[in-house]
Amino acid sequence: MTTLLNTTNLARRFGGIMAVDNCSLAVEQGTITGLIGPNGSGKTTLFNLITSVYKPDAGDIYLQGKRITGQPSSQLCHRGLSRTFQITRLFWDLSVLENMIVPVRHVGIRSLFGPGMHRHEEERALHLLERVGLEHMKDQLARKLSFGQQKLLEFAAVLMSDPDIVLLDEPAGGVNPSMIRFIMNLIRSLNKEGVTFFVVEHNMSVVMELCDHIIVLDQGKKIAEGPPNIIQSDPVVLDAYLGD
Amino acid sequence: MRRLIRWWPLPALILLLIFPWVYRQPYYHVLGFNVLLFATMAVSWNIMGGYTGYKSLGHSAFFGLGAYLVAIAANELGWNPLWSAPIMALVVTVVAMVLGWIMLRTTGSAFVIATIAMLLIFRLLANNLRGITKGAPGLSQPLPPWTPEFSRMPFFYYMLFWLIIALLVSAYIRRSRFGLGLLAIRDDEGKAEMVGVNTTLYKVLAFGASAYFVAVGGGIWSYHATHISPIFAFDIIVGVEMILVTMLGGLGTLWGPVLGAFIYIPAADFILFQFGSSTAHLIILGGLMILILLFLPQGILPTISEWLEKRRTPRAAHTGARSMAEMQTPSGGPEPDTPDTYVSAVKQETS
Repeated sequence: MTTLLNTTNLARRFGGIMAVDNCSLAVEQGTITGLIGPNGSGKTTLFNLITSVYKPDAGDIYLQGKRITGQPSSQLCHRGLSRTFQITRLFWDLSVLENMIVPVRHVGIRSLFGPGMHRHEEERALHLLERVGLEHMKDQLARKLSFGQQKLLEFAAVLMSDPDIVLLDEPAGGVNPSMIRFIMNLIRSLNKEGVTFFVVEHNMSVVMELCDHIIVLDQGKKIAEGPPNIIQSDPVVLDAYLGD
Repeated sequence: MRRLIRWWPLPALILLLIFPWVYRQPYYHVLGFNVLLFATMAVSWNIMGGYTGYKSLGHSAFFGLGAYLVAIAANELGWNPLWSAPIMALVVTVVAMVLGWIMLRTTGSAFVIATIAMLLIFRLLANNLRGITKGAPGLSQPLPPWTPEFSRMPFFYYMLFWLIIALLVSAYIRRSRFGLGLLAIRDDEGKAEMVGVNTTLYKVLAFGASAYFVAVGGGIWSYHATHISPIFAFDIIVGVEMILVTMLGGLGTLWGPVLGAFIYIPAADFILFQFGSSTAHLIILGGLMILILLFLPQGILPTISEWLEKRRTPRAAHTGARSMAEMQTPSGGPEPDTPDTYVSAVKQETS
């Protein structure tokens, strides 16, 4: 197995709080890796460090063995790393189809002044929309979709850039059980097609069922990692969730 | 019928072409020139303020810079403003991109203040670099070679030509991948960056493009005015009017800025003509602007298209309300109105 994404001694401080503290972790290619931890344990901060929203105070991030620390976020997408957000973020005044077209992997100066949408991109977008059941809404404004549909659209749009790894921040957050099931199946089938996932999720049954490997954070530090059945009964993890 | 409606710019263009021959008094030619000038500049401003969502209050800086460069070139080098205006505007574009690269590190109101500061700095320079700009009294340039009674017509047609070019460029940008990126930046810049839009590059290019036609307008205006001085060339009101005109017609739409200019400029002129001696025109204009912001906050064109859409699909308003309601549904419980779209998709996926 090869490592797709890894961090070494990553740290970030906000005022007096170490949000991420000396964190070294690795996501193996082809896995669905979970990232869990109590509220405020630094999960989203870690995602924001990996995707260059924040600059780390110390440590490095590597994608496929190449150092990507401090690379502009827009570059990461073109290198095969994409993410979704905890609170769904879309281009609200653009249509569903346009939301799909903005994130594509290769945009050079020449294509910048080309047409907004190429035929092959539109076909791919429609194919992905069909997969999440939104193809009939392609001309609607994103703001007109229901909450669940918006979540699916964000997910589908991320796939447009043909990512090697997708960081999902709470894919099951705030959606109903049938929808959770649908999203889980989608993640699984995409994983079979070769996409690696790194998932932050609060819903434990989802995490335990979905992930091959789980990393546990507490107060910015990695306190445990391993397969779901081991993590579930790890006393250190139980203590972090339930203790003091 | 639909197809025919799409060709409406053609009769509008023909009307504009014959306008100076129907209304032959110079007053109408000057008014027409001003309408076209502000329409062109508003279309240009809209590329940054409307598409990208960065509202610059300092675009008069590019107007004044274009005006001064053209006037200086006419005096020192003997360049005819009619062809030097588009060339000098390229210089202004480069200046705008360099300054934009600095100013666009800020967002929101900080950006607005930075653009005002830029304008004030240019005005100070124009006032104080007396060797080049002749200072506060301003500088004159050679009169146009054609006869006085004919003198306004070429400006009218030349400005019309530039309005068409500006509209073509604006429409082209809107349809390109570049324009899609700009709209994405307007909606959510952080997200745009995350999905691979090089936001700094896009914003700097858009800022340069939006300065270009403003500078062309400034250059032609300076020839039209024959005498320019810092208070008129670097007047913040010119920039404010670009914004008012755009917001009146419809921010971020292709035709909105044009429509706004065709309504606002003649109306402002009429009110100035009627009440200008008592300066009551300022109060009336201000009051009208407040009324427009209150009742047409999105501008004329978006309001009309929304109204048309509502008439076509009476339930359109309902979907928005539903998404709000769904957001408040707690995560666990089943939703009353599960959209059947993903239910059927679930079936497909699991079978």
